[in-house]
Amino acid sequence: MMKWVLMLFLGNVFVSQAATVNTSLYILRDSIHFDNGTALPYTTFNANNTFNATNARIVVNQGDQLDLWVVNFDSDPHEFRIQGETTTVTIPVGDSVQVLYDCNTPGVYIFHDPMNFPDNASAGLSGMLVVKNTSHAGFYWNVKEHQVGYNDSVFAGTSPNWMTYYPEHFTINGRSNPNINNDPDARVVGNVGDTIYIYIANTGQSVHSMHLHGYHATVTYYSKDASKVGWSKDSMPIYPSETMILELVPDIPGEYPVHDHNLIGTTGGSLYPQGMFTTLLIAP
Amino acid sequence: MRKSIYNVQQRRISHWVIVAFLLLAFSGKSQIDTSLTLVSKMDFQAQHELHDGNLVHLMGFTETLGAPILLPSKTLIFEEGDSVHITLWNMSQAASHTIHLHGLDVDQANDGVPHLSFEVAHDDSGHYYFEAPHPGTYLYHCHFTSVLHVQAGMYGLLIVKPKSDPNLTWENGYAFDSENAWLMSELDTNWHHDTIINAPHDPQSTTHPILPYYPQHFLVNGKSEGQLDAFPLVASVGEKVYMRLANIGYYGNEVIFPAGMNAQIISSDGRPLPNVVNSDTVKLFPGERYGVLLEADAEFNDVVQINYVNMNTHQLENTQEIDLTISGFIGVDELGSNDPLVYPNPANQHVKLPLSGTWRVLDLAGRELTQLNAPYFDYDVSELPVGTYILRNVDRPEWSVKLQIQR
Repeated sequence: MMKWVLMLFLGNVFVSQAATVNTSLYILRDSIHFDNGTALPYTTFNANNTFNATNARIVVNQGDQLDLWVVNFDSDPHEFRIQGETTTVTIPVGDSVQVLYDCNTPGVYIFHDPMNFPDNASAGLSGMLVVKNTSHAGFYWNVKEHQVGYNDSVFAGTSPNWMTYYPEHFTINGRSNPNINNDPDARVVGNVGDTIYIYIANTGQSVHSMHLHGYHATVTYYSKDASKVGWSKDSMPIYPSETMILELVPDIPGEYPVHDHNLIGTTGGSLYPQGMFTTLLIAP
Repeated sequence: MRKSIYNVQQRRISHWVIVAFLLLAFSGKSQIDTSLTLVSKMDFQAQHELHDGNLVHLMGFTETLGAPILLPSKTLIFEEGDSVHITLWNMSQAASHTIHLHGLDVDQANDGVPHLSFEVAHDDSGHYYFEAPHPGTYLYHCHFTSVLHVQAGMYGLLIVKPKSDPNLTWENGYAFDSENAWLMSELDTNWHHDTIINAPHDPQSTTHPILPYYPQHFLVNGKSEGQLDAFPLVASVGEKVYMRLANIGYYGNEVIFPAGMNAQIISSDGRPLPNVVNSDTVKLFPGERYGVLLEADAEFNDVVQINYVNMNTHQLENTQEIDLTISGFIGVDELGSNDPLVYPNPANQHVKLPLSGTWRVLDLAGRELTQLNAPYFDYDVSELPVGTYILRNVDRPEWSVKLQIQR
């Protein structure tokens, strides 16, 4: 088995004291299913040898060293990189690579297959690496949209026409409303006065404008434009292949929606209400 | 009274003395209120005229049952701390409706989301209450089958002003002379067919069919193309103009001001920004609002461009233009000729001015003619022809005086 070793040292302050996080990602192909019965062929990074339409999420603490093996169980070769952080490595069919990454800078990073970008990433191979510097409660949104037929094109070796992209399905962590609320990592649950962090990555190709009911949240990390850190917002665009962290300190109890305010994003398969719509549940 | 793009334009007459503020309207006279009724209804007959002359059906909120539905609905203006009671009387003949108070962070009962708050069925009423929070720009819209009802026209702006001064952005914030509000959206005529607008959208139905969205009309305050000619942005040199920008559409917007407007982005989503952003381009996505201060330092004519960007393809699909005219000089009529710090006035050869340094000499249209320089307060005006001039200090442009030359 060929091994590719990628070493990145972005700093050495924490290296000697860092915990090493050993984990693996398995590239598997199956389908993502939507509530209207539509299923699209889909490839994801999985935590084990069982396909899940939700990409596995890697959460580490600042200062950790990530020792990651990526195993390609798909029938096509793939590539891997942590966007903006590591170089691209190729993973032949049935092979694996090792990626070592020093997690020195807090933030949300997207790992994906950059081959024929954005085709393979859009067909599912795009996940979140979260480098935390806090022990406060955290929730994770991998937001994405899907157009019927595009994944078939990708798997047939034809790049879809992104200039006519019109997605019909919208997901958070691979799920649509109302099933997003069944994902305990996605649905924000807390108490008044809690400090809650929402880690967001847009692994799709559309801009999504996420709107919070009930609260404003403070932007603490915004890969698109660091000058917006510190802004207090109730509606915030998350651009394709970009990430964001929101700090939420609820001041009133209740159950409040969060959704894409491009309201087409709250539909699914031409039906409403589906898509990117979940709720915050805040107890007194 | 100048034309305004919206019904909340206010003008400070002088930079020394605040005399009054004016509310301009093209959809009705606005007033600060703490208790109001909104009627939700739909058009039986297509009545909203598009720029191409075609008529479409709308859903919307009106103040009375007989009032026509406007796009957008009336701008609601409150003062910070007001106790606001809104009664929604639904006379839709069909669909249930709600009022979502977008960005106001109200409690769950008043949030206007059907299954989490309440919905108001036809021929029924519902009541919303909130205490007007941070001064700023907000939205209200129906959240029942929201993707359909927002596109149908059930939206408007909601503005909260500080108690002390309506010409402040917020308490201890920025003072402005006039303000304009531009609410961007789009309209797909296929979504405005009677079969959709007049459909009951049965609340017992778990899902509602949605058409593909390919808008043909790109709107600013419900208008587009030639319709916008009647609503230019007009200001004077030195006038501080506060722009309230909001996006309730399903596209991204780029509002591009001419460089001469010296645009400063100072707030978003009803909150001051930690740092002022100097940018001629303001990008705002669905649900976002921005506050932008403008101040021109010279006369010119230009346009403000508003781009509509497809959020899936990222392609620019449309640009609307609003005429911009910067003319004259703010407060010229109010500048007295008997300022005791300007003497003699009328002057002949020399004049003493209230500040040292460089003064611009402007004609009454705001055009710069020359400059005066002196190390102290005594300026040589012997080269100025007989006439009336506005002198504006370069270092402190808020200082302007009127000077007459007689010989």
